[in-house]
Parts: sequence; structure tokens; C-alpha cells
Amino acid sequence: MALRDLLHVMVVDDMSTSRGLILQSLDGFGVRNVRYASDGPSALQALNTQPAHLVISDYNMPGMDGLQLLHALRQSPSLAGIGFILITGKAERSIIEGGQKLGMNNFIRKPFESKDLLNCIEAVVGRL
Amino acid sequence: MTTPDPMAEIRASFFVECEELMEALQDGLTMLDGGDADDETVNICFRAVHSMKGGAGAFGLDDLVRFSHRYETVLDEVRAGRLEPGHDVVLLFMRAADILSDIVHYSRDGLPVDPDKVEPTLRELEALISDEAEEEEAEVTDFQPMTLALPFGGPPADRVVRIRFAPEPDLFTSGNEPVHLLRALAALGEMQITPDLSEVPTLDALDPEAACLAWEIVLTTNRDRAEIEETFEFVEGLCKLSICEEQSGLSLPCLPGLPPLAMPPAPDAGVSPSAEVRPRLTLTAPPDCSDPEEGTPPPDTAKTHAPQPAPATPIAVESPVATAARPATTPPKATVRVDLDRIERLVNLVGELVINQAMLSQSVAQAGLPTNSPVVQGLEDFMQLTRDIQDSVMMIRAQPVKSLFQRLARIVRDTSAAVGKPVRFVTRGEATEVDKTVIERLADPLTHMIRNAVDHGLERPEARLAAGKPSEGCITLSAAHRSGRVVIEVMDDGGGIDRPRVQAIAEERGLIDPGQAMTDAEIDALLFMPGFSTVKQVSNLSGRGVGMDVVRKSIQDLGGRVSISSSPGKGTCFSISLPLTLAVLDGMVVDVAGEALVVPIGAIAETMAYREQDIRSVGPRTRVLHIRDSFVPLLDLGVELGFRPAKESNAGSVVLLVANEGETLGALIVDAIHEQRQVVIKGLQQGYGNAPGIAAATILGDGQVALILDPVDMMAKAGTRPGQTQPALAPTG
Repeated sequence: MALRDLLHVMVVDDMSTSRGLILQSLDGFGVRNVRYASDGPSALQALNTQPAHLVISDYNMPGMDGLQLLHALRQSPSLAGIGFILITGKAERSIIEGGQKLGMNNFIRKPFESKDLLNCIEAVVGRL
Repeated sequence: MTTPDPMAEIRASFFVECEELMEALQDGLTMLDGGDADDETVNICFRAVHSMKGGAGAFGLDDLVRFSHRYETVLDEVRAGRLEPGHDVVLLFMRAADILSDIVHYSRDGLPVDPDKVEPTLRELEALISDEAEEEEAEVTDFQPMTLALPFGGPPADRVVRIRFAPEPDLFTSGNEPVHLLRALAALGEMQITPDLSEVPTLDALDPEAACLAWEIVLTTNRDRAEIEETFEFVEGLCKLSICEEQSGLSLPCLPGLPPLAMPPAPDAGVSPSAEVRPRLTLTAPPDCSDPEEGTPPPDTAKTHAPQPAPATPIAVESPVATAARPATTPPKATVRVDLDRIERLVNLVGELVINQAMLSQSVAQAGLPTNSPVVQGLEDFMQLTRDIQDSVMMIRAQPVKSLFQRLARIVRDTSAAVGKPVRFVTRGEATEVDKTVIERLADPLTHMIRNAVDHGLERPEARLAAGKPSEGCITLSAAHRSGRVVIEVMDDGGGIDRPRVQAIAEERGLIDPGQAMTDAEIDALLFMPGFSTVKQVSNLSGRGVGMDVVRKSIQDLGGRVSISSSPGKGTCFSISLPLTLAVLDGMVVDVAGEALVVPIGAIAETMAYREQDIRSVGPRTRVLHIRDSFVPLLDLGVELGFRPAKESNAGSVVLLVANEGETLGALIVDAIHEQRQVVIKGLQQGYGNAPGIAAATILGDGQVALILDPVDMMAKAGTRPGQTQPALAPTG
């Protein structure tokens, strides 16, 4: 069985358009176990109920931003090992370095092509 | 369930989302302007613009990306505390928001953006960006992705699979095409393919409909055997196939007993042509052997590599709707977007339900069942439910007027800039909910009224100062629910209506007789006369060939009324009163000369028996009703509508007192009152034109068609045409 059949992914983005685009791409890669949340707190709640292998989260979200979500994940004993990919409009040094310190696995700049996202994911989990 | 193009759907939802983001941005800017902004307000503005940029980038909307990028950078300056959001800056932000909104609309409609409109503001924004911000834009490039240890013992390793595929001669007759099959196989990994030409006969012996080529394939893949076999599923028995693995797949322990049917279909390059994969494959894939001209494929080994199984553009089998239907942990928002057509349909159906319920009630009433019978009781509940459903359905379409008001704020800004009058724009009651269709159709008339208020209503700054007012004019737009209607007011604190001038112009235009004595209200009403314009030189703003008469017409089309009040030196107020919805109406069913008519309850202040001693005649045709120390005009509906000639005596009739916004306008004589009920408004056909005093039609419980009266309009018409002889509307039988 290929990795794409086994991998559980959680997509977090407050904007339904960009969330839709990510979901669309994952669907295209054949990743079947995808869930989504529109903000950090509800993503954490959902992950506590049912964990995932990888979180793909937007940076720019109201309330809890992507890095705050990453921080919360790494603080949680049960969720600390989850892979984390940050989606950001600006690859500002402060954001990326902040993510690096928190153990971000990879990031991708918006806008991205579907294949960029695939490369970004595969760099973390291996070939889908 | 597959939608034709999921991308188009996401694109459409992006533009809907943009409207929401624009609203958030406008809100934030309004707060910034009010000075009560905290960091979060700036954040909200920034996020709104940033999110638009993100989406725009995904759809390649370059104009939108470019503008929002600059805009976002300046907002970031404010966020970083490097730029003070003073009045001028916020004004620039507002202008930028207007332009951003334009660009969104142009992008949505695929129209080019006029650089002359965008560039100046873009430059103004750029001027506010500090060097530090430019520096910050330098991006990180040295990030090393961190691989993740997954609990599956790592992804399955690649292995080499040797395949020999030799179709039987009759393969083509089964409708199979080896090219498609080989393409699908290529998508599974890295593929080397060598055609075997040994069975190709000489040209004279060639049967063009028989397959004669075979292929040796070396596939490097991490896919399991089942998936490879699946590729050949449809040619089973039609070919000789051998699959030989050089190295046993590490992934095998991971798939115990998984039926191959449960696997997702391998993306078939022939079915969903991927721009990435296809051209390369068509160059190297062995040509169709049924074509003898090209029947000899190049002998060199074609090496193809499909980088991934996914098509380059996400052409998914599942629509985003289906994706959303997955067990999502959190709904993205507690809202759904519904096609307005569907709601439209629901509204119509509920309308039919109301009519049907009324018909049923009537039949039951005619059957003479006792009131305590289960049928009558059940019907009562049914009636209540129908009403609740109706209210709920109407609520679906109800929207706060806020978005409309925000659009009008822009009109104020634009007009203010164009005529050089500084204006403060105040809105009240933005949360007031009105039917969406009403809101949409209000945009044009309100736009015109707002332009008028700035252009004509407000004095020039110097004149205002001379009159002891602040130089900045004030336009107030308010919305409120009042006695089952929505009242929207456009108020200015200008000089008020110059009545002598209005009267003089009306005389000049021959609209009124010279020297005619008129009340203030009558003079104000002249503004609504067709062809009336107080501006000698048509200004390029309000004078767009649309007068207040057109405004009034569009309001009336919505079942609304517009009135003016003005006091010299203090300002003018236009008041629009509208029904909450266009679909239903609480009405009183009355009988006039055997015809059933519906009078909106909202317009009836009181009903009373006709008493001869309360009636006074003034002139041959005009009668007035004496009521509580005052006199109001009295009209016989039957005569007004041309249903019958005037009666000798109206004894036994009923009088309806007609009121508008609490002011009694007059009285109508009807023969009898039948009942009070909700009716579904059915528009009159265009062919009727604008029948004075008639608003619409409806279908009553017994299936009879009845006209819905606009009593206020009727009183107004009767007032302006004293002694009219022309019947308003003749019965058609």
C-alpha cells in the first residue's frame, strides 16, 4: 500500500478558498485521509480526538496563527511528533526562523502549484 | 456527483470570500478612522488584504496580487508601528480599499484593470513604505526540510519490475488501446519501454486491425503488484502478460488482504490528460500499430518518467463538495452558501403553500365543521406552521443592510471628492435586516439619492461657514424597522429645499400654473415630477439623466414609498419606507362592487362604519370625512377603480382610514370586509403598465385572482388630480 493511502493529514486554514485549493491538491495526490479545520484551536481539538501524521497549516489566521498552532502541538505530549508544514504568503526570516526553532518540518510559499505542494510534502514524509 | 470543474467552483467561492474580506477591511478602516483602533484592528485589515492576495496568487490574478501586495506592505508598516495611521493615511487606505474592490470585480469578470485608476494610488501607497519594510521582504532560502519518521516503517522502497505485454491480435476489437494502458503504467513510476517488433509482418501481410506489437517494460516503482496488475485489468485474456519483480517490495507487509478494487484508480493519462505527462508520452509512446504508415516505431528505448501519479493541475475525481462531506472535525464556518435560485424556488413554493393552506381552510370552513373538531384543530396548527415556515424562509434571504451602506460610503467619498465638498458620512442601523433582493434593488436609487444629497443638498464649505455651520457637511444614512416595514432615511444638514426656486422652476417648465398656491409638502413633491431638475447646468454627477421621478419609480416597484421633509437652513431628509419582503403581505380582503380587493394592513389605520353625518361635500365630486376634529379626503373605491358609478348613498358600507407613517391621509369606501389574511404577492404583468393605486395581484383561498391596492398611492393620485374622471383601472371581467 502506498504512503498516500496511509497518511493522515490535517489541513488548517481560515479561508475556505485556500483550504479548498489544498484539499483539492491532496485529493489529486490520492491522499485519502484528510480532515480540515478553520482555525488552530479546533484543529488541536480534532487532533486530540484523532491524531494525524501531518498538519498543513496557513500562517495568517485570526486568533491563533500557524506558528502558535505549531507551538501548541509541540507542547502537547501526544501531538508533539506530528509533522508540520507551514503555508505562508511571505517567507519572512522572522517567521521561518521562528518555525525552525519550534520544529517546523517544512514550509511553502503562497501561491504554489500543486506539484510544489507535493514536493514540499514529499520532502517531509517521503514519496506519496 | 463530479462537478465539471472543481477549480471554477473554488474560483467562484474565492470571489464570494473576497466580498466578505472587503467587508472586514471596510469595518477595520472605519474603526481606524474613528480613532478607536487597537492592534487587532490593524491586524484584521492586514489579514483581509493578505488573504485576498493569497487567493489571487493561486488563480494568477496578477493585478490583484500586485495591488494587494503593496497595500498589505503598507498595512504591515502600521502593524510594525513604523507608520502612524493618521486621518490622511486612513483616507488613502479607504481609497485603496475602493480600488481593491474594483480590481476584485474586474478580475472576477475577466475585465482589464484601467492602470490610470490604479497607478496613482499604488504610488501613494509605495511612498509610505519604509526601507526597513523593503529589507524585510528579503526571503529565506536556506531552510532545510526536516523529514518525519512515520510509524509505517518508512515509505515503500522503489523496486524494479519487469513486465512483458504482448496483446493478442484481436485486442483492438475489444476497444482497448495499448497507448492508454502504457501511459497509465508510466504514471506508476519510472519506466523504460522497448517495443518488440518481431511479430510485425511484412507490409503485404499486415492486417491493420490486428495487434502485432509487444512491449518489454522495466518499471521502477514503489507501487505494489496489485496496482500494476490493475492497469491491465481490462485486457485480461486479451494479451500475454508477465510481471516479474526483481526485488521483493518492502511495502508488502503493509497491505495484507487489501482488495485491489479498494485502491484508488490510478490516474490514467488518457482519461485525465495532464499537461505535464501527456506531451512527453505522446512523443515516445509506441505509435498505434493499426496505422501501417507509422507502424514502425523507433527502435531506441523510450524512457519516460512520470514525476508523480497526480496530474499537474488538480483534476480530481471528487468535487470539493464531496471533499467537504468527509467526516470533517470542525465545520469551517456555521454557514453554507446557497444558490439564490434555490432560495427563490423555496420562497415560491412557500408562497404556493400559503395559498394552498388558505384554500384548505376555506374548504373546511365551508364544510361547516364544529370548531372543536380535530380537523379544524389540526388546521389551526397547520396554519401556525405555515406561518413559521414562511417567516423562516424569509429570514434566509434577510441580510443586514451593512454591505449596501458600505458601498454607499464609497459613493459619498467619490462624490465628495468630485464636487469639492468635505463630507462626514454617518450610518445608523447597519444591522437592520432586509430581504436580499430588496437590498440589491435599493442600491441604484440610494446611490442617486446620496449623490443628490452631496451635490445639491449640502452647501459649499464657504456658504456653510457663513451660515454658522461646520465646513464639513454631514450625510446620515439610517435604517430601522418600523411597524412591519423598513424605513431608510438619507439626511443631509444642508440648506434645505429652496422652495420658492423649486416653485419657480416648476412654473417655468409648465408643471404647475403660475402663482398657484401650494403647501410646502406639495412643493417638495414637485421634485419627484418627471423632467424636473433644479440644476440649470447638468452636473456630471447627479445629472445622469436620472431624476428623482426614476428614484421614486424604483422604490415603488419594490412596494415602497419615498417622502421628503425639509427645513430651510437645516437640511433635507428623504425617507424610504419598504416592505420587509417582496413575497408576502398581510392584507385585508374587501369587497368592492362584487370584486375582491386586498388592502395592505400596514396602510389601514382604522376601519369604521359609513355614517352619512360624518361626510361633507366640497365641490361636485370631492367629499371629505369628518373625523376627530379634522377632515380627510374620502374616496369611493368602486368609483375610483371604475367598477361602478357613484352611488346615491353609501349607507351600509365600510370606511377604511388610510395612514402612512402615522399620518392619516384619507379614507376609502368599500362595500364590505371579508377577512384579514396573508397573501402571496404576484407581480402584475408588464402589459398593465403602472396602474395607479394598484400594487400587485394575488390568488385568494378560493383560487380567485384579486388585486392588491396601494392605498397611499391611490390617495396621492386622487390628491394630485382633483376631479379626475378617468377610471384608474377598468375591470377585465
